[in-house]
Amino acid sequence: MTAGRPVPPPDELARRRPLLRVSHLSKTFIGTKALDDVSLEVAAGEVVAIVGQNGSGKSTLVKLLAGIHQPDPGGAIEVSDGSGRLVPLGRDGSGLHFIHQDLGLLPMLSTTENLDLGRPLGRRWITPLHRNAEHARAAELTRRFGAAIDVRAPVAQLSPAERAIVAIARALDGWQHPDNVLVLDEPTTAFHRDEVSRLFDAVRRVAAEGAGIIFISHRLDEVRALADRVLILRDGRQVAESAGGELDDASLVTAIVGTSVAEGPPTAAATGPVVLSVDALRGRHVHGLTLSVRAGEVVGLSGVLGSGREDLNALIFGAQRPTSGEITVAGNRLPPGDMVTAIERGAAFVPADRHRHGAVMTMSMRENLTLPGLRGLPRRFGAIRMSAESDEARRWARQVELRPPAPDRPLSTFSGGNQQKVVLAKWLRTSPRLLLLDEPTQGVDVGAKAAIYRLVQQAAAQGSAVLVASSDAKELATLCGRVLLVDQGQVTGELTGAALTETALAHAALTAAPTGRAPREESAS
Amino acid sequence: MTTAATREVTMPDSDSDRGRPRLLARLRRSMSIGNASALYLFVLLFILFALWEPATFLTVQNWQVLLDNQAISGLVAVGLIAPLSAGVIDLAVGSEAGFGGILVAWLLADHGVPIPLAILISLIAGGLVGVVMAVLITRARIPSLITTLAASSILIAVIDWISGSQQILNLGTSFQDIATNELFGVTYPVYILAAVSLIVWYFLERTALGRRVRATGGNVEAARLSGIRTARMILLATITCGVIAALAGVLASSQLATGDPTISQSYLLPAFAAVFLGSTQFQGGRFNVVGTLVAVVVLAVGVKGLQLAGAPVWLPDLFNGVALLAAVGFAQYQRSPTARTAAIRRVLRLRLGERSAPA
Repeated sequence: MTAGRPVPPPDELARRRPLLRVSHLSKTFIGTKALDDVSLEVAAGEVVAIVGQNGSGKSTLVKLLAGIHQPDPGGAIEVSDGSGRLVPLGRDGSGLHFIHQDLGLLPMLSTTENLDLGRPLGRRWITPLHRNAEHARAAELTRRFGAAIDVRAPVAQLSPAERAIVAIARALDGWQHPDNVLVLDEPTTAFHRDEVSRLFDAVRRVAAEGAGIIFISHRLDEVRALADRVLILRDGRQVAESAGGELDDASLVTAIVGTSVAEGPPTAAATGPVVLSVDALRGRHVHGLTLSVRAGEVVGLSGVLGSGREDLNALIFGAQRPTSGEITVAGNRLPPGDMVTAIERGAAFVPADRHRHGAVMTMSMRENLTLPGLRGLPRRFGAIRMSAESDEARRWARQVELRPPAPDRPLSTFSGGNQQKVVLAKWLRTSPRLLLLDEPTQGVDVGAKAAIYRLVQQAAAQGSAVLVASSDAKELATLCGRVLLVDQGQVTGELTGAALTETALAHAALTAAPTGRAPREESAS
Repeated sequence: MTTAATREVTMPDSDSDRGRPRLLARLRRSMSIGNASALYLFVLLFILFALWEPATFLTVQNWQVLLDNQAISGLVAVGLIAPLSAGVIDLAVGSEAGFGGILVAWLLADHGVPIPLAILISLIAGGLVGVVMAVLITRARIPSLITTLAASSILIAVIDWISGSQQILNLGTSFQDIATNELFGVTYPVYILAAVSLIVWYFLERTALGRRVRATGGNVEAARLSGIRTARMILLATITCGVIAALAGVLASSQLATGDPTISQSYLLPAFAAVFLGSTQFQGGRFNVVGTLVAVVVLAVGVKGLQLAGAPVWLPDLFNGVALLAAVGFAQYQRSPTARTAAIRRVLRLRLGERSAPA
């Protein structure tokens, strides 16, 4: 720090100055290499987009930058210290500012109050706030980013883009020096199409002031519109880096998905009778959807967040109450919102969030396994015959290759993959006619994934009709015999046979129009 | 998430991994310090007070009195297990007992209702309190903490209204006999506690119904999505608690030969302390009957010993409060093996990180 401050370089040079340098960054979790030798440089005034599928390492990279994970030895993250030198990233992550998908705003507080939250108020904590001055300051700050908003209104009343701008303004407000990098992690997921440009204007203004931007998105049109450079991640590796304008959709998709797409074993052609038929179903995000699934068939649901893909299974099962429409399982009508009857008629539902909806983590594997079918257990004097239940739990533990094979352990002590196998097993045990799966392998390791696919295909072979809603194109291409494309709450297309490839699915999802519906807090209620 | 969630905890493999655990091994495991700390605490307290106050502490009479006194608060604690298992934090349990006690006294002394009918009405009233609370929790979706806190205040108002804030006397000797008559040296409430405990234990630990109640308490959403009618489970649990608490209140009035409008307070905290301390015992963090009964005795011995040693009157309150905090703190620690190992790992990684950092 004793060295004299460098002479301020000329303006053009200042804009080329690197603000963030990531070199040879890797991250290994037990069993998987989530990120493998990724290097990246962000200069002042530059917008760098990072794209990739689920599981490509995007989130890991963000978490490394944020200091949530520690990188493997050998990798380094350096940020500018404000005087043009790059120094190792401090533990507090200063110099890097993150706008996550949920923005981290308090919805009941006004814009002004939200902006004030990030600011140290110093010794003023006991003296009254100067409300008008605060409001004026907040209004000026947000106007810099092109947002004319009522800073006194709760941020819950703002549009998604306005909220994002408030979040950016708050991040900017805390900057100590101009050399900063703003990381935007899928900020537009909740946006209307016409709102995206408002946010992009704001982002360009931030870049014009000399900050570096990292922009993470899964929408290719946005990436091409905003980014100066694009970094493509696949399976944790950096597969390509190119200028934003150079790539068209097709070559981007190929780079993202990869060319060596291993197709899974083709699922046997559907020959059984129709088990599930859904007619003109309406509910949250679902607008008059019609489909049918035959016995022995594994049908996929593909669509972006908010398309209705993530709500359909819950609506069919009755975890969410449909507003209209008809659902029949094997000829029996399911009353809306009645899960008990749905289960009696042979429906089974594996929700996406196993911690909140899928399992009782404090109970043992055995108790979770038998929960949906307690009535079927052998009893004596009204009591469950523990030995029979234990035998059954051990049989299922073998069946699903539970590791460790200890059915009496609390479920919380198993790995995510093993927990998910138990959630699947508890429904397979009821021999369901209809198996509804939401994101069946989310947060699951490779071995458990294979086991889950095998179990699902076995269930189909035994005559279950299976409906899989997934955001993972590879999964749908591997697991399903037929995939329905869902958009705006309706089925808009179908891929089957040779046309059903990961590339085709990824292309359909990546080029789908934004739906303009904010994803509310995910909940099955 | 891009990564496999690898949070598996490697615990020493129990022998249940291979076939059925042998009886001896199972006994050894269930008697380990971590699993049955209250029993060891009991032994410790016993030795301590036996040495400190041998003349009074080591008498048969002392233990008879202790059991008689604790039967009623034990009953309240056992009743409280049901709602807690279903995920309802029932802060009204003390007032429910007080309500049952005052109602039976009022019916007997002021209205001359026959004893069996008066008791029956009190128990039904206790059950109805449970029904109202369950409806508020499941239909009006008021959090159980708020519902029961408010219900507790309302019940205390009702108690004062019924009794005119006065003790109700002249309950009749045959009513007093219920809680004071002895069989083999201990009073009837001890046997009533044993019977009620057995029933609650059987339902909670052995039947499908109990399993559903515990699943509701463990994760109400997951239970609902498994086809369990969770509102019914909560209803069942609050009714059970209301009836048992009312029964405890009836016995208290019988034991005191008085309808006392002020007893509510004295049952709430000991019951919570016992159930939470009990949850750290035997069953690895779940509310259970055996652990609760052990905890009732341990806490009573602690209080009793201190009283015999001449501790001031405010000491039982202090003891119960500290015991509740200690029990819940310990339960939290015990319930999250992941948090524990994560803490250890963090420390280890820090050390390793320092070593592997380039010089």
